Amino acid sequence: MDEAVIVGADIVAGHDGSAELVVRLLHPDGSEHPVLLDEDTGLKLMEACGASSLEDLYGQSWRLIMPQG
Amino acid sequence: MFDVIVKDGLVVDGSGAPGFRGDVAIKDGRIAAVGKVDGEARTVVDAAGRVVAPGFIDPHTHFDVQLLWDGAAKPALEHGITCVVPGNCSLSLAPLKASDRRAVVGMFQQIEEMPPEAFTTAFEWTWEDFAGYRAAIEKNLSINVAPLVGHSVIRLWVMGPASQERAATPEEIAAMQDLLRQCLDAGAVGLSTSFVDLDEHGRPVPSRFAQFEELDALAAVLGEYGRMLQVVPEFYATDITIARIDQLAELSLKHNIPTTFSPLFDTLAVPDNAERAIARVEEQFARGARVWPQMQTRPIDISFSLLRPSLFFARLPRWVRILRQPLEQRLAALRDPETVEKMIADCGPDGGEAMMGRLVARGGDACPADLAGKTLSEIAKARGQVPARALIDLSLENGLDVAFLSASQGHQSTDRIGPMLANPLVHIGASDGGAHLASFSTYGDTGYLFSEFVRKAGAMSLEKAVAKITGETADIWGLKDRGRLRPGLAADVVVFDADTIDRCEEEPAFDMPGDGMRYVRAARGIDTVLVNGEVAYRSGAYTDSRSGVVCV
Repeated sequence: MDEAVIVGADIVAGHDGSAELVVRLLHPDGSEHPVLLDEDTGLKLMEACGASSLEDLYGQSWRLIMPQG
Repeated sequence: MFDVIVKDGLVVDGSGAPGFRGDVAIKDGRIAAVGKVDGEARTVVDAAGRVVAPGFIDPHTHFDVQLLWDGAAKPALEHGITCVVPGNCSLSLAPLKASDRRAVVGMFQQIEEMPPEAFTTAFEWTWEDFAGYRAAIEKNLSINVAPLVGHSVIRLWVMGPASQERAATPEEIAAMQDLLRQCLDAGAVGLSTSFVDLDEHGRPVPSRFAQFEELDALAAVLGEYGRMLQVVPEFYATDITIARIDQLAELSLKHNIPTTFSPLFDTLAVPDNAERAIARVEEQFARGARVWPQMQTRPIDISFSLLRPSLFFARLPRWVRILRQPLEQRLAALRDPETVEKMIADCGPDGGEAMMGRLVARGGDACPADLAGKTLSEIAKARGQVPARALIDLSLENGLDVAFLSASQGHQSTDRIGPMLANPLVHIGASDGGAHLASFSTYGDTGYLFSEFVRKAGAMSLEKAVAKITGETADIWGLKDRGRLRPGLAADVVVFDADTIDRCEEEPAFDMPGDGMRYVRAARGIDTVLVNGEVAYRSGAYTDSRSGVVCV
């Protein structure tokens, strides 16, 4: 593994009442940390990954979180 | 002769000390005596069987616009709140050049979700500078206001459109410092900034383009006055939040200022988030820094409609695929019997009863009025349908404009949150009062503190809970005249029933300019609220009193 990948995903309640996506990234040095994505970004990530469920995100590159994929 | 005596109540004075039976006498807007008071008064408030406490202080609100036509910040005052802090998250309505109003209105609408009429018909723009805004709200206040000035508007004033494009030059930073001084001289309680907020076009707000040198320079000005720096950190991203805590600590120590970040949420999805953040706060306080995390009391709800895709359905692949389609194709899919059968089957053999049955039809949109507030399970039974089909059909019948609420989806674990709220270094706040109007109610968090965390969970005593939202809050913000029942201090007083104080159910109200809708919660258990010695709310009704002030 030479770049961070998604190893977990969960829906959380955003402070504005929307459903948001927390993905957990595993880095090459073995560390993990969560990143919060707003509803639009979360849906775009799922689309970019061709994901129709949260589990489909597992193993995907962190780069797909970025708008340009 | 006193002006008012609040008689024979349980005096909980905001210091955290045990309550005692006694009276509170008021003269010329100030507390004249506390204890057994002899003498007469023009007004006597019978507080027998009730708690007499300092008025509550709400340190994180967005009432900036509403205060221009509603000096009580309704319904905040009826919940016992006698002082609000607007101007959070880098946004205030001053200083603001006339030519920049449109840009800032867009940012406010993004956060507050106010109807356009709120900015076009509800008040007259008479100001550009902070002193002018202060004068505009001061004419009509029945609640006290300690306003923050927003970093984004300071940046916009100095840099214009470039404020959302680049870092500032040294000359521009110096101009921002001068402008901040003017605002602090005019009564701003501090500066707010944000590392996360977006404008209505999805662009970062101006404050997010600032380099650390700019924030450091502005904090230096705050240090000249000893005033507050409020920030919105990258919540749930724990490591980044911790980095922000460290950054705030450095600013606090270097410039001898209080700082606060809001919100800090607990979530089971990132279970160590709040715990780690608070641990870092404790370490920084041990170094002498002041970095106050603001934590709200209420759980977070998720709301959605089928008008646009929502991650609420992220565990239902077929629903996600269908709701992500453009509107026409989405409608076609939802009208296709075969597709709908499959969608319902995805929700389990109970037709979505376990998954969706507890959703609540919110009302305030196209939802039939008689269904608002009912659970999807109740609606489905009345229609003779399973919940998933009822959700789809009810949405289709009303142009998809029916919002559903999934209650308590975040920050919902009383057992975890109670001890955090009781932590002496955790600042109770972050209500967001006056924001997110069309999404959920931001009122009643103080009532919920007493009903959930004092009465139900026993996470803290009545006296401690009162101190957290009165005396301790006043200390954190440097509001030297507020927060305690002590002779000489301003007479902000709330009389409430400790056994019943609470927030009521959320309901839509159409009381915004242009008949705009917002969700509100009425108060329960609040008898009387006095602001600067005048009765502003009593027995369920607001008075004509206009005794509120800008109280910095």
